[in-house]
Amino acid sequence: MEPQLSWYLALSAILFTIGAVGVIIKRNVIAMFMCIELMLNAVNLTFVAFSSYFQDVNGQLFVFIVMTVAAAEAAVGLGIIITIFRNRESLDVDDASILKL
Amino acid sequence: MTAILFIIFAGLAIGCAISMVSQSNPLYSAISLIGVFIALASLYVTLAAPFIAAVQVIVYAGAIMVLVIFVIMLLNVEHAEPRRKRLRFLVPAALGMAAILIAETAFILYSVQTSENRFPGTLSDVGLTRSIGVGLFTGYLLPFEITSILLLMAIVGAMSLARRTSVLSSTARVVPGSQVLAMDIVNPRAVGDLRAVETGTTAEAAHLLGVDLHSDPERQEEE
Repeated sequence: MEPQLSWYLALSAILFTIGAVGVIIKRNVIAMFMCIELMLNAVNLTFVAFSSYFQDVNGQLFVFIVMTVAAAEAAVGLGIIITIFRNRESLDVDDASILKL
Repeated sequence: MTAILFIIFAGLAIGCAISMVSQSNPLYSAISLIGVFIALASLYVTLAAPFIAAVQVIVYAGAIMVLVIFVIMLLNVEHAEPRRKRLRFLVPAALGMAAILIAETAFILYSVQTSENRFPGTLSDVGLTRSIGVGLFTGYLLPFEITSILLLMAIVGAMSLARRTSVLSSTARVVPGSQVLAMDIVNPRAVGDLRAVETGTTAEAAHLLGVDLHSDPERQEEE
C-alpha cells in the first residue's frame, strides 16, 4: 500500500497542533521558540507533500524561503532572548509580561 | 515499502514532538526537536525532494539547533517555579483547543477525501537541485534577493541586540549572563583603576553601583 497525500497532511496537522499546544503551555521562552520552529516545519511538510503530489516545484521554493526566514528569526529571536535574560535574570514569559523593567 | 517507511518516520516525528512539549528541561526539548527534524528530512526523501531534505538537515538540525543549544547552555536556565495561579487555566485551555483543531482536521480529511489521492508514480526532476535552482533564479529572483536582504537585516539586528551597550573599559571581559565591570565604574573615586569586578546578575551590578532597582518612584506607585 502506497502512502497517500492525506497521510502527510494528517501528520502535518498533528505536528502543527503539538507545536501550538507547546506555545501555549510552555513558560520558558526558548521552549516556546522551539515550538514555533516545529509549527514552521509542519507547514513545510504540507508544502513538500503538495509539491510532490502536483509535480510542481513552486512548493519546494516556498519551503526554501521559509527555511531562510526561520534562520533569520532564530538569530534575532535568540538575540532578544539574551536581552530579556540580561534585564530580568529569568526566561519565564510570565515575568516578562510588562514591557518596562 | 514506502508505507512502512512513512509509518516509522511519522511515528518518530510525533513521538519526538510530544517528548519535546512534555520535557521540562529545554536542553532535552532541543534534542527531541532535532529528532523531529531528522524524521521530517527522511519523509522529504520519500516524497522525492532530496534537496529540501539536505537543506533541512544542514540548516535546521545543523545551524539553527546549534544556535538554540548554544543559547540554552549560555544562559544556564534555573529550575522552573510553579506557575502563578492567574495563569493556571492555560494548560486545559491548550488541550481543549488542540482537541478542537485535531477534530476539525480529521473531519476535513474524512469528508473531503472522496477519491484516491495517490502520488503520481512517474519520475520527475521536481525535487532535484537543478530544478530548484532554475526556479529560484528565474521566476523567484525578486523573493530570493529580498531574502538575502532579510538575512543581512537579521545579522545586524542580532548583533545590535546581543551587544552589551554599557561603558566598559577595554580591559574588562564581557561574558553573557555574568557581568564584569571595571573598578572605576563601580567606584567613581577609583578613577583609572581597571581591575575587574564580577557580578552574576543585573541586580548585583546595580547594588554594586549603588542603584536601587526597586526604588523607582513610578514603579512604587504602580504597585
